Amino acid sequence: MSSLLARLRNVVRRHAIALWLVLVVVAAGISARTNYVADLSAFLPSTPSAEQAVLLDQLRGGIAARLLLIGIEGGTAPQRSEASLRLANTLRASGAFDAVHNGDNSGFEATGKFLFEHRYLLSPAVDAQRFTVAGLRAGIDEATSLLGTPGGAAIKAVILRDPTGETVRMAESMLPSQAPRSDGRVWISRSAARAVLIATTHADGADLDAQQRTLQLVHSSFAPFEQQGLKLVLSGSGTFAVASRAQIKAEVERLAIAGGVAIVALMLLAFGGSLKTLATALLPVGSGVLAGIAAVSLIFGNVHGITLGFGTTLIGEAVDYAIYYLIQARAAAGAPAGDGARRWLADNWPTVRLGLLTSICGFAALLFSGFPGLAQLGVFSIAGLSAAALTTRHVLTVTSPDGAPGMGLRRHLGHFVGACTTVLPRLRGPLAAVALLAALTLAWLPSPWRGDLGSLSPVGAEKMAIDAELRADLGATDAGMLVAVSASDEAGALAAAEAAGTRLDKLIDAGVIAGYESPARVLPSPALQQLRRDALPNAATLSARLAEATIDGPLPAARLGGFVADVQAARQQALLTRASLKGTPLYAALDALLVPGNGTRPWRALLSLQAGAKAIDPAALRSALAGVPGAQVVDIGAELHALYARYLHEATLQALLGALAVCVLLALHLRSPARLWRIAQPVAAAVLIVLAGFSALGVALGILHLVGLLLTVAIGSNYALFFDQIRARQDAAPPGTPWVVDNDTLASLALANLTAVISFCLLAFSSIPALFAIGQVVAPGILLSLLLSAAFIPSRAR
Amino acid sequence: MPPLTPTRTDRPTRRAALARLVAGGVALAWPARQTQAQGAFDLVQLMRTLAQVKAGEATFVEKRNVAMLERTLQSSGRLSFEAPDTFVRETLKPTQEKIAVVGNEVTMSRGTRSRTVPLDSVPEAAVIMEAIRGTLTGNRTAIERNFSASVSGTAQRWELELKPNEPRLRELVISVRLSGAQALVREVVVAMADGDRSVMTIEPVVPGARPASAAS
Repeated sequence: MSSLLARLRNVVRRHAIALWLVLVVVAAGISARTNYVADLSAFLPSTPSAEQAVLLDQLRGGIAARLLLIGIEGGTAPQRSEASLRLANTLRASGAFDAVHNGDNSGFEATGKFLFEHRYLLSPAVDAQRFTVAGLRAGIDEATSLLGTPGGAAIKAVILRDPTGETVRMAESMLPSQAPRSDGRVWISRSAARAVLIATTHADGADLDAQQRTLQLVHSSFAPFEQQGLKLVLSGSGTFAVASRAQIKAEVERLAIAGGVAIVALMLLAFGGSLKTLATALLPVGSGVLAGIAAVSLIFGNVHGITLGFGTTLIGEAVDYAIYYLIQARAAAGAPAGDGARRWLADNWPTVRLGLLTSICGFAALLFSGFPGLAQLGVFSIAGLSAAALTTRHVLTVTSPDGAPGMGLRRHLGHFVGACTTVLPRLRGPLAAVALLAALTLAWLPSPWRGDLGSLSPVGAEKMAIDAELRADLGATDAGMLVAVSASDEAGALAAAEAAGTRLDKLIDAGVIAGYESPARVLPSPALQQLRRDALPNAATLSARLAEATIDGPLPAARLGGFVADVQAARQQALLTRASLKGTPLYAALDALLVPGNGTRPWRALLSLQAGAKAIDPAALRSALAGVPGAQVVDIGAELHALYARYLHEATLQALLGALAVCVLLALHLRSPARLWRIAQPVAAAVLIVLAGFSALGVALGILHLVGLLLTVAIGSNYALFFDQIRARQDAAPPGTPWVVDNDTLASLALANLTAVISFCLLAFSSIPALFAIGQVVAPGILLSLLLSAAFIPSRAR
Repeated sequence: MPPLTPTRTDRPTRRAALARLVAGGVALAWPARQTQAQGAFDLVQLMRTLAQVKAGEATFVEKRNVAMLERTLQSSGRLSFEAPDTFVRETLKPTQEKIAVVGNEVTMSRGTRSRTVPLDSVPEAAVIMEAIRGTLTGNRTAIERNFSASVSGTAQRWELELKPNEPRLRELVISVRLSGAQALVREVVVAMADGDRSVMTIEPVVPGARPASAAS
């Protein structure tokens, strides 16, 4: 086994360049074929609880992700109404939408006809009692009481075929209790001069290309009205996702270019403008980026835009290895060519390797974070850093056996850092006091760990305000509370929804909730439809009862022949199912609330609740629903909060485990508690000071800040390791040996730190919260790590 | 911009927008305002008079002629209102039914069923409610927002004719005519576009004269 390993090592060494070339080509090939995504749901957790599963289903692929809210502003009210009517017709005809609602019912003949034809299966009033003499009389009284009023205009045409008013009862049960304001033709805003529409895109919420095409279609359909001075306002999760993707894409490009330019400039400055050195230094960087993309692509099947954005920091870290090598690989005077590489491999590579391993330990914690997005960052960094380090170790030692010739600024840098290392240790006391103060501040201030999921979204406050306004206009704001029932099939889910509905009706009477939407209102369960069909009497019985019920009434039985015939036809009707609603406008309404199951997931019916004057009490709701099989109360706000809290908690544990792994690794390698303690001090102090700084500034910290801290430990410990190496050498020398400041090593450390700080500073100016949070923490964290390492580690006795 | 009377407190811009929205309404509102200068009884005075009564209760009898029905529909019950925006119509005969409007919420109850929807989401149902509630509470803003109004007669014997502003509603309702004396509304006549017509006669309830059992 060990001989096999040795032979393998031998092969790698001998054919390092060839092997590297092959790997680069393979990685480049994979990268070129990679699918790049920017769906923010990658930053939603992947292992939710049952109630969270309902919620995440809705967030990711549910109807909520397909809603498009449309506002038409400017011009006059009649212009806006006209534009609403015509835009809605264009969008309905386009086929890109499952439903377009603007309050205009004139186009609903098909729905009306369908409902009317199936009224004896769908009307909530139909039961055996309805067709007794008393039931018929009450129904006719109620229906006719609407005639002669403006509200009765719609039923006038059908009253002879529907004398008991089933049409009215169906409309009543299906109309939402939070309907938008209507000007008689279309929906209008209650608060602003605006016509409002709500549409359900045919495209899946996660299919951003299709979402983008749909949005373009809306814009181009609206173009004629824009010329009249009208303005289109769009909102909805699809618009947010498309905008976020564009934002992430632009941002990543900007970051990569800025990062690249900054590093190239710095390298040119540091190495006296040597292009050969620059090219050499970029080899590990390029290899690292390619390896990172290829690894993520192979493991996850796609690469997230945010991973790439984060990956730009890899440029700053990967270049460190090149910097260490190019500066530190110094041949002894008069030694043959290649002596620099040999000496570096002997003296410095172990430290670099240890640094790499600690970084990997830190990033490995991300792999288990439960957020697919963060796991991608972890894989990307581990693969990228390993590739960069290995390229340095095996390729640079061959191509530049004696490091880089150019001196440029680095001599000055070395002197400067050398001077710093004599000053900083004198500040050890004050700096330790600062770290102690930071610890006390942290203990005294309230916990800053109070970020939420919303903080991950790059959607600005202005867009959120427009969204909230349109939702209020459209009555599309929900109470933040859902009841979900599940069953193994469609019939079961609908029956469970009916059972839950019966309990919810009582809560409406008690004033606990104002109303609710249920899929069973659109499509009653087969059992209930069957019951209604069975309640329909035969023609002879119905005619006889009708004759008695209409005595002295406003409608004589003789004119109700159509009614008797319709009831007879309904007795033969097939029961309605989800499939038979397909192609009717009712389907979109049902689809929003009934989520079909598959082999692994049950059928799920969602009942969204509307709060009355006061907020819904989840406890009262849960107890009211006790005993309804499979019923879950999902308090969306609380669930999201719990979800995030749970993941923050998990991430904290993982970060601590990551830190512990770093410590164990160092302990195993150094075999010296004193040296471990030496290395841990500056890094821990840097973390404390950064944390205390954010607490004092009142910044709400979340998971991404935690990730940032982990990175601070992973990167910062590298600097500490080098100072520890210097100190160890000093300690090992015989007493009395004059201390020689290794300016080259110090210069390489300073340069490496500078490149990393620059890349993380760029992230800190990103408008994407995920990147912003990481950059904000890491940039000061690693700068402090270097300074504190310089202050704490070297011995005072020189 | 129409001249504003000192009592006018609503915002000019909104008035202007409204005016553009319902050009016809403004045209009809003009004569009323001009007659005010001559001291005749107009909408401003009528509404001021009505607004002085903050709450009230009455019984009603409604007779409705519907062309397609064999006979006149008759119903009776109680009306009550309370400033600023509550109006309840409770039908006791032939069947019990209650419609309660509070602000923009309308609750319809019949038997054990009850349903609440925003009033402005169902304009065709809201039109009569707005006419009666607006008049009973003397809410001129609400009346002018929904109708073009014309007043005739005197404070002792006035008649208020309301025509819906929205074109779509004018296709359904020709006019709602309310008549009364001083702060009392005595009759509401609704003329539908299809020729149907309803007449509601209102009898105020003298406080304390009604038996307690009538309280809901």
